[in-house]
Amino acid sequence: MTSTTDVKNNVATPATRADTGYRQRLRLNLRLRLGLIILAILAISSFTLPFFTDVNPSEQGTYMKNLSPSWEHPLGTNTQGQDIFWFLIFSIRNSLMLGISVSIFVTIISTLVGLSAGYIGGWYERFVMLITDSFITIPVFPILIVLGALVRGRTSFWVVGVLLVIFGWAWGARTVRSMALSIREREFINMARFSGASTFDIIIKEVFPYVYAYMVVGFINTILFAINTEAALAVIGLSKVEVPTLGSIIFWALNYNAMFVGQYTWIVAPVVATVLLFLGLFLTSTGYNELYAARRGQS
Amino acid sequence: MIKLNNIVATYTTVRGQVDAVDGVDLEIPSGTVLGIAGESGCGKSTLLKVLYGDITYPLSLSSGDVEYGIQDAQGVEITTRNIRDHWFRRIAYIPQSSMSSLNPVIRIRRQFVDFLDPDTDRAQVLEQVRSYIQQLDLPPEALDAYPHQLSGGMRQRIMVAMATFFHPDIILADEPTTALDVVVQKGILLLLAEIQEEMQNTIFFVSHDMGVHYQISHKMLIMYAAKAVEYGDSSDVFGRSLHPYTKLLTESLPTIGDDHLRQGVAGRPPSLWDELHGCRFAPRCPLATDICRSVEPPMVEYRPAHFAACHHADKNL
Repeated sequence: MTSTTDVKNNVATPATRADTGYRQRLRLNLRLRLGLIILAILAISSFTLPFFTDVNPSEQGTYMKNLSPSWEHPLGTNTQGQDIFWFLIFSIRNSLMLGISVSIFVTIISTLVGLSAGYIGGWYERFVMLITDSFITIPVFPILIVLGALVRGRTSFWVVGVLLVIFGWAWGARTVRSMALSIREREFINMARFSGASTFDIIIKEVFPYVYAYMVVGFINTILFAINTEAALAVIGLSKVEVPTLGSIIFWALNYNAMFVGQYTWIVAPVVATVLLFLGLFLTSTGYNELYAARRGQS
Repeated sequence: MIKLNNIVATYTTVRGQVDAVDGVDLEIPSGTVLGIAGESGCGKSTLLKVLYGDITYPLSLSSGDVEYGIQDAQGVEITTRNIRDHWFRRIAYIPQSSMSSLNPVIRIRRQFVDFLDPDTDRAQVLEQVRSYIQQLDLPPEALDAYPHQLSGGMRQRIMVAMATFFHPDIILADEPTTALDVVVQKGILLLLAEIQEEMQNTIFFVSHDMGVHYQISHKMLIMYAAKAVEYGDSSDVFGRSLHPYTKLLTESLPTIGDDHLRQGVAGRPPSLWDELHGCRFAPRCPLATDICRSVEPPMVEYRPAHFAACHHADKNL
């Protein structure tokens, strides 16, 4: 064979190159590391600490009102006689739980809808995209305000989550569809088809690996969206404000004029926690993006 | 023996229907390398699609079918109707550009085994693949790489390995060497020829590079404006061509030591949208007469196994 030597030299080293790639993948970039550390601290503390207390933070009048921070009450107590520290811990936990579960459903729905619409095409795509586009054009927040006002008080915390899923999946579906649309036309999809693969096989084995990195980032961003929207609704009193969340804590603090009373920790602590949480999520999302780009060889 | 029975392949477009392959009727002995040549848009690739059985909208088969001359496990003849069930087992396809034919985010070895039947032993197949690609002068580590870590030639070798791993009876190659430089190109061609010699598959080889055809093809099919115009052994088609179009094509090839200015074929092929009468090459043909412009020439066997569709072919005998 004429080109034997040329080929042999060339091969230098897919194996070793793959190894260094692997090592690079383990060396997480700064953003991702920072983001993961922030998230880990918030998540671990908020999910484990509640096991070490029998305080029900929502119960009013458990303690003296408006105590300053002390050893017993690290952030003091509020005007309702609740321990601000424990209320905050439960808030972070609830907000995270809401965000993650909303995001799981949103990601699953938008990926399934987007991939199938983009790859299968035809009347199916037109029908599905009609629905998707309708959901995109609906202004989410005003609708949520109206719905929140309607079901207010009679609803559970999780109904808010369901509403967020219903109004949250459409953007992701549209993005995934556009990726699937472009991938569908690539030659390797044809090759997979020519080797006898079924549509389902192609979507799962050929298209999905492409969309997967976007999904991770989308997943994190949806957590942000869910926590953010719920908090916004709660601040104006339209979520289930009796349940401690990052929004409802601010709602109560504003309601009882925490600033005026001088209970600064009541309002500053949830704001700081929210900012930290968002920062952690944002750093993780962009850091992962960077990591994935590095893994593809900066392409 | 592979039989193409009067194939008419039609594309449905917004403007209407157009026959991209219009009545190709051939018999190809098994175990030959058939080269298909012609200008862009003459129907080469469409013919390959029909041969592969990938007939999906907007392409449809208006008439004719292909008999592949092979039987499936139950002894049923394989034709256009059921060829899809034998994709990559009995009939394989080597695409034009290996660059885009491998999924860039999946390792090569997974692309080899992803679409096997679920009950096959993947590890064992991978071992076979590993030893097979070594026969094709690829390092076994290439299997563990992502496509972008391999050179163009290696990628094309991978494609050849994928297409031939199951020892298919028929291989379709759609300009498999166009994206490669001549040295690598020669390597791939020799590899294909070697594999063909060993497995005795029938290869349909599309290329508009006549030099490549000269190297590898046993028989040649020349197409012009959706029609087959000449078909015969390569030596006959190149050495004693009957159709003036073939003649002009081969005359345009440079030879070493000959410093004549080469003449291209003047004009352009007719648009398939027009109402076409008579010989489709007539407007560009130096030999054209009145009969050429009104009567369509049939494929006639002027020499044993050497066909041409030309009213004046006998002048070349």
